[in-house]
Amino acid sequence: MKNKYSFIALIIFLFVGPFLFPNATITEMLIFGIVAISTNIMLGYTGMLSFGQALFFGTSAYISGLMLLGGFPLFLAIPIATLGSFVISLFIGYFCVKREGLYFICLTFAFNQMFYFIAYVWTEVTGGEDGLVGVERPAYIDTQLTFYIFTAVMFLFAVIALYKIVTSPLGLIFKLIRENASRAEAIGYNVRFYKLISFSIASTFTGLAGSLYVLIHSMVPIDQIHWLKSGDIIFMTLFGGVGSFLGPLIGVVGYIWLSDTFSIIWARWPLIMGVIFAIVVLYFRGGVSELLENLFKKYKSISRKTEHEQDIKNTKLN
Amino acid sequence: MNKILKIQNLTKNFGNVSAVSNVSIEVEEGTIHSIIGPNGAGKSTFFNMISGVIPPSEGSVYYKDKDITGFESYKLPHMGIAKCFQITNVFPKLTVRENVWASIFSCSHKSKIDLFKSMNDFETIDKETKKIITDVGLSHKIDDKAEELSHGQQRMLEMAITLGAKPDLLLLDEPTQGLAPEATVEMTELIRKLSKNYTILLIEHKMHIVMEISKIITVLNFGEKIEEGSPKQIKNSKKVQDAYLGRK
Repeated sequence: MKNKYSFIALIIFLFVGPFLFPNATITEMLIFGIVAISTNIMLGYTGMLSFGQALFFGTSAYISGLMLLGGFPLFLAIPIATLGSFVISLFIGYFCVKREGLYFICLTFAFNQMFYFIAYVWTEVTGGEDGLVGVERPAYIDTQLTFYIFTAVMFLFAVIALYKIVTSPLGLIFKLIRENASRAEAIGYNVRFYKLISFSIASTFTGLAGSLYVLIHSMVPIDQIHWLKSGDIIFMTLFGGVGSFLGPLIGVVGYIWLSDTFSIIWARWPLIMGVIFAIVVLYFRGGVSELLENLFKKYKSISRKTEHEQDIKNTKLN
Repeated sequence: MNKILKIQNLTKNFGNVSAVSNVSIEVEEGTIHSIIGPNGAGKSTFFNMISGVIPPSEGSVYYKDKDITGFESYKLPHMGIAKCFQITNVFPKLTVRENVWASIFSCSHKSKIDLFKSMNDFETIDKETKKIITDVGLSHKIDDKAEELSHGQQRMLEMAITLGAKPDLLLLDEPTQGLAPEATVEMTELIRKLSKNYTILLIEHKMHIVMEISKIITVLNFGEKIEEGSPKQIKNSKKVQDAYLGRK
């Protein structure tokens, strides 16, 4: 039931979003929504913290951008870029899941920076420091609104696919690993294999988002493959809340809206984001989604109490 | 009688220290075979080598005449060997139902495609889950999270998870550890009941339980096998008495 309401709210958001935010902003929100929700499969469901998601986001953006520049159609560029992320995630994930905790984080970080430096020095292909520029959207999604609709469809496809995964036995296995990996192994699950699957799912969908991102501003800035972007992804996911399926989307909307708002007011705006992050980590471990859920529960219990008191009064009067 | 598990000269060295040295046992199908010994005898190391947690330095483990020495622990449930841990080892934030369901699913799903189906598509697993939970007396807690159960109930859940794998051989590592006297009686009864359908290799240090339910007892001391026999033989063994009293 809770999920049903969440999905109704999501559909309403998709319709209302373009009236609340500029088209480019709401499109960016949906793209990073895919990133954060898929990252949460790995972070919230499986308990693996990766500082390498920008690697997949950036690489897919480059592949997609280069294919479009080379004259390939969009409907080929997106799947191939996404497939590229999938293949890379299998290769990198194979090494990363051999280690746990801090060492896993360090490996993902190291791979991220390797890819960043490749993009940085390979200027003739990636544009180096200037980024990959001049990518044009096809005529059918030429306007910001049509591109938004296209992104919203892709977003819905990703959300439904990811939801199917978390409500399948595979989603349960991810939770087993998060809860107690050694016990999961003892009941017959090859933990390393399922960690790799989780890593690949998160990275493939992050890649899908990256392949769309190139179309927002017709370019791939190099910072999209930098580890700081991986940090942003973690921040958005935690800010929204890893405890619920759609929680990370709230984090994305909040993060992008806050950064857009503060960056106009004050050049040192990341300082404010840092303070907000510290408050979330210290006091709202479940992120904004858990905070909203608790407030809703509190409101419901108060209204129930008031109703109950009213009933008692009425009984006495009668 | 058929020997379901044969362990030959199992040895584990940690540097110069030998935790288990040349231990051989054979477990008869359909019996309870217990491993006992004073603290530091090497029982847990021995158990961990059989269950694939740590590889042995030397020796072999045969299950149904197949060499399974050093097999990764996740492969064993698929062959019919399930393990119950010494320390309560459940999935705390998941419900009792999910804990047991996952265990049954692990050994019963046919292909990787099943991983992507809806959880509601597995009617047989749902039924089996309910049955096992009822068997261990937790049906009234089926939708509670494992972390909300009492310690005794968590031990029962631990047992239910182990049974979910539908094993032929149960490896039980001190299943009554930390249980209140009433819960210990319940657990002992459950083990006795299980022995009708499963072969059990039991590590336990509560002597009265071991003596009451085992068919064969192997005694370890300082990593070596010092005695093996029926409960009566073990009770009367001078070597065992000396080991427990610390006499040389």
